[in-house]
Amino acid sequence: MSRRAPASGIRRYLNPVNLGGLAIVVLSTLPLYWMIASSFKGPGEISAAPPSLVPESATLGNYAEAFVRNGIGRYLLNSVLVASVSTVAVLGLSFFAGYALARTPLRGRGAIMTALLMLSVFPPIALVVPLFLLERQLGLLNSYAGLIVPYVALNLPFALWIMRNYLVGIPRELEEAATVDGAGPLRTVLTVIAPLARPGLFTAGIFTFTATWAEFLLALTFNSEDGHRTVPVGIALFTSQYTVPYGTLFAGAVAATVPIGVLVMIFRRSIVSGMTSGAVKG
Amino acid sequence: MTSSSAASSSSSAASSSAATVSRGPDPEPPGPRTGPAPRGGGPARVSRRGRARTGWFFASPALLVIATVTVFSVLFSLLLSFADVRLEYGGFRILSLTGDHYAAVLSSPEWRHALVFTFGFTAVTVFLELVLGTAAALVLERLGAARGWVLAVLLLPWALINVVAAQLWGYLFNGTYGGLTWLFEQLLGHQPDILGQPASAMGAMVVVDVWKTTPFVAIVVLAGLMLIPGDVYEAAEIDGAGAWTTFWKVTLPQLRPIMAIAVLFRILQAFGIFDLPFVLTQGGPGTATESLAILGYKTLFQNLDIGRGAAVATTTAVIVIGCCLLFLRVFRTQADEGGRA
Repeated sequence: MSRRAPASGIRRYLNPVNLGGLAIVVLSTLPLYWMIASSFKGPGEISAAPPSLVPESATLGNYAEAFVRNGIGRYLLNSVLVASVSTVAVLGLSFFAGYALARTPLRGRGAIMTALLMLSVFPPIALVVPLFLLERQLGLLNSYAGLIVPYVALNLPFALWIMRNYLVGIPRELEEAATVDGAGPLRTVLTVIAPLARPGLFTAGIFTFTATWAEFLLALTFNSEDGHRTVPVGIALFTSQYTVPYGTLFAGAVAATVPIGVLVMIFRRSIVSGMTSGAVKG
Repeated sequence: MTSSSAASSSSSAASSSAATVSRGPDPEPPGPRTGPAPRGGGPARVSRRGRARTGWFFASPALLVIATVTVFSVLFSLLLSFADVRLEYGGFRILSLTGDHYAAVLSSPEWRHALVFTFGFTAVTVFLELVLGTAAALVLERLGAARGWVLAVLLLPWALINVVAAQLWGYLFNGTYGGLTWLFEQLLGHQPDILGQPASAMGAMVVVDVWKTTPFVAIVVLAGLMLIPGDVYEAAEIDGAGAWTTFWKVTLPQLRPIMAIAVLFRILQAFGIFDLPFVLTQGGPGTATESLAILGYKTLFQNLDIGRGAAVATTTAVIVIGCCLLFLRVFRTQADEGGRA
């Protein structure tokens, strides 16, 4: 692949590719570093006129403020609950339906797949009105179920698409062997297919979790009451006070980013392969 | 591995191959005709009809959830867009059905402005993300050992909550003490009010969106690059093509299908943009950065004009779906001409 002869010394590393790589890393992480550094700055330093690159007198005061005064802990708890219940439900439903669409002779399967794609295209703003009226009627506003149910429905089409594409690639012979041994369909699916489908489940799960963790429009309109606010709404409404307490805001933002950042790093291969297969087969 | 990949490719022709197999209702369980002959003493193979029943049994919970929540909402939203709706204590009432909302929406300057802004924002961000994402993917492909690390770093902005990204950049662009404002002050000699001027506020929104979603395009395009067989490049090299020619004549045509998918994804997201302008600019200054989704939200939840808000939402949905279909059609003809589908 490499056409150039290797140069010597430091100039060996000063080629366009490495400089490009460096630019990618710096551009991606510098704003994030700025957020983390700012979360440790005191009230004077955060608005100082040449901004400081490293917090001069690092303080945890912002974190105390965010958790004690601004209840970010409560929002985090709400988000964890809503996002994980939604993810588990989406995985359960999409796994079985994905299996059915990949493996069983359903009539109208092509039509179902097309309908799923069309539905995942729908902009959320078009669904907010009817869902809002419905939830208002049913008394579901400001409840966990009021977010979980639409999150499950909205994330299902994409997860189903991923699961189905993944399950199509599992060799048929394995389940046939189990059937020949006398296992019923449910047992075959649970004991043979489910373990094999784990990578697909990880991919669908991480995409669903990140999407529900970050969802803003429905969370803002359905659960705006403080006790049921999720993290994105809590962080967005920081600004509604007259001065933005940026230190506290960033402490909350870091607290909201750490869980998702850790998850993404753990499952980064699932994410990359999910984007890849989604793009190749989608 | 060969057998499994063969199985996957044969069945990933999916609907078509499966449809041929299951064409027409089988009056009787086909028995040994389909599969390999049943091994002696083994239980009879499950009939096709039985398998179809299992399929519906497995698929119906998910399809039911999607149908009741999503399909119902789409239809209900359509109904509301033609209705005069009054909110009442604990509920709502549909007073009458009209077509007035659409006439009012389509002729209103707010809607036209939001449409132009949303289109412009989508076009500019998707174009920049495609160019920068492809460049980043080309860099990543050549990075060697460091690639895994750089990929991991790239995932961080992608994973960041939109609202957090908006607040973070809102701080950087802050008029009095933002880091970027300070930087611009050093360069220009005066403090720019980045989010306070229409043009620069729009530019700021583009910057944030490009920063956050270029990684997505880069990773998808990288996946496409990895799929290009090496002998294509060898052939190009033998033909004496330079790097630039190779990129335009070999790499880019091969990447087209995967780029099309990435672009389609991005168009959908950019066109429905809500959280970024809601937090970063609140649609301002004035209505400069008011997207269709923001306009819909304001009509619905600030003016409590349900019918008209539903009409705004419906126009957005129609345009998104129209764009998708148009894009797919154009892309498909191009792909047919280009040879590789």
